[in-house]
Amino acid sequence: MFEIPDDRKYLESHEWTTTEGDAVKIGISDFAQDELGDVVFVELPAEGDELAAGEEFGVVESIKAVSDLYAPISGTVTAVNEELFDAPELLNDDPYGDGWMLAVEPADTSEFDDLLSPEEYREQTE
Amino acid sequence: MTAGNGRRVGSPYAPHTDADEEAMLDAVGVDSAEDLFDIPGEVRFDGEFGVDSADEQELRNAMADLLSRNEELTEFLGRGHHAHYVPALVDDLSRRSEFLTSYTQYQPEIAQGFLQVLFEYQSMLVELTGLPVANCSMYDAATALAEAALLANRLRRGASGHRVLVPEHLHEGRLGVLENYLDGAEMEIGEYPMDDGAVDVETLADLVDDETVMVYAETPTVRGVIEERLADISDLAHDNDALFCIGSDLVALALLEEPASVGADVVVGEAGALGLGTAYGMGLGIFATREEYLRQVPGRLVGVSEDSADMRAFTLTLQTREQHIRKERATSNICTNQAWVALRTAMHMAWLGPDRLVDLATQAVTDARDLAARLDELSGVKAPLYDRHHFREFVVRTDQPAPAITNDLAGRGFAVHALDDHHLQVCITDANADAADGLVAAFEEVI
Repeated sequence: MFEIPDDRKYLESHEWTTTEGDAVKIGISDFAQDELGDVVFVELPAEGDELAAGEEFGVVESIKAVSDLYAPISGTVTAVNEELFDAPELLNDDPYGDGWMLAVEPADTSEFDDLLSPEEYREQTE
Repeated sequence: MTAGNGRRVGSPYAPHTDADEEAMLDAVGVDSAEDLFDIPGEVRFDGEFGVDSADEQELRNAMADLLSRNEELTEFLGRGHHAHYVPALVDDLSRRSEFLTSYTQYQPEIAQGFLQVLFEYQSMLVELTGLPVANCSMYDAATALAEAALLANRLRRGASGHRVLVPEHLHEGRLGVLENYLDGAEMEIGEYPMDDGAVDVETLADLVDDETVMVYAETPTVRGVIEERLADISDLAHDNDALFCIGSDLVALALLEEPASVGADVVVGEAGALGLGTAYGMGLGIFATREEYLRQVPGRLVGVSEDSADMRAFTLTLQTREQHIRKERATSNICTNQAWVALRTAMHMAWLGPDRLVDLATQAVTDARDLAARLDELSGVKAPLYDRHHFREFVVRTDQPAPAITNDLAGRGFAVHALDDHHLQVCITDANADAADGLVAAFEEVI
């Protein structure tokens, strides 16, 4: 079974989001990192860039695949996990912790309602 | 008509039965497969080739007759395709069945031996350019240049536009391919002027702006001039956040300043001068760049790794940039490369070794200088036209019409290029150097 923490919401395309203070953090799920295999490269937007819900915001590349990353919510990027550029394997080792990707200031918190709950996402991955 | 299994007779490889075909035709609303094509009758194949049958002996005689109509000219042509003497071992070794196979040389299953050759080829390019990343070939210099422009555009850096600046003296074939590629990418080409055969750096300075994504310069130029101000051109490009791309060739790179040391971000050009004849215009494109652009490099890359038994193993690497994995977001849509030609070039370079490669390059400078000086002594001839250092080739100004001189030289067994009414271009290498006396004598007779 894959780890699907209850403190966050998910996208069908396997991104997660969780609120920490004013910021919203974004990453990819345990299921996603397992499907990808060894991650070798991550391409992320820069601080200050705008995200639009459902739009591509980056790319994650493993030894066997390349996947686009989709924004769970709209907002402005306030922080980027630059450690991923040097150590993309953090995504495999700790996708919900050290493998976080972006911190975002959300533009419209009502968008959270459109995301999958942990239960709904769990059903999707079963 | 169907065979016993319901498949069409005569189509052993097609899995469709007649019933399948009918269902498909019904679905698209046509009566027969013929209705799917709109090809005018006069150009449709009617089942007759219109070629008379002949037995082997008749065919050989007919071909010999046809070939005897070729003019046997000693070429002093150049302009992008340079003949150097190719040692017999290149033919002999490259035709070994391990190498000369119809199996594609750019799939993961390719043999270790071939991968090693391609790795060696890349390593030679890295040594000659000073840039840490080289791919294992492009079709030719023109496609390499076009891919460099696309790479620059993808990076964009500070540019607000999509313009690539190229010299006014650019081989028409390279310009044509560049235009074709850039048109599809919605990029534009700007031309900058040359001054006495080299880059007019002062005018170029006015042309490079924040619309520019790449500045391209060649050394030697298509007219054989060695570019002396590459570092200045590089500064202009970088001051405007544009990439600097140098076009050259392997022999020239052995002698001229290392591109990395004058600020080149990308090196492209023709590698076929080694290992390849000049017939049919075939080429081998160089592509080398900085490590930071590794994931933007078009074409194939061979890397070295370790297998499960900890043995050194070569492998095609970073294929996630490529279209079979990344589809529409691939770095490049170039499908194949010149693996076997790169093998020949690597063999030729290995045969020469570093010292003789430098000797060959040095000879390209001294022979061109000496031949130009001899032609310059003839009345009505100025050679070289530009007061510069040349590599292999140079432009000659003639008082008499250049096309007539070219014709007359052809009548005496020599081929040179006529550039326009009063300019010729002459190229000398180790392949034709022993005919230089004859060319000078023929020149003297025809002017």
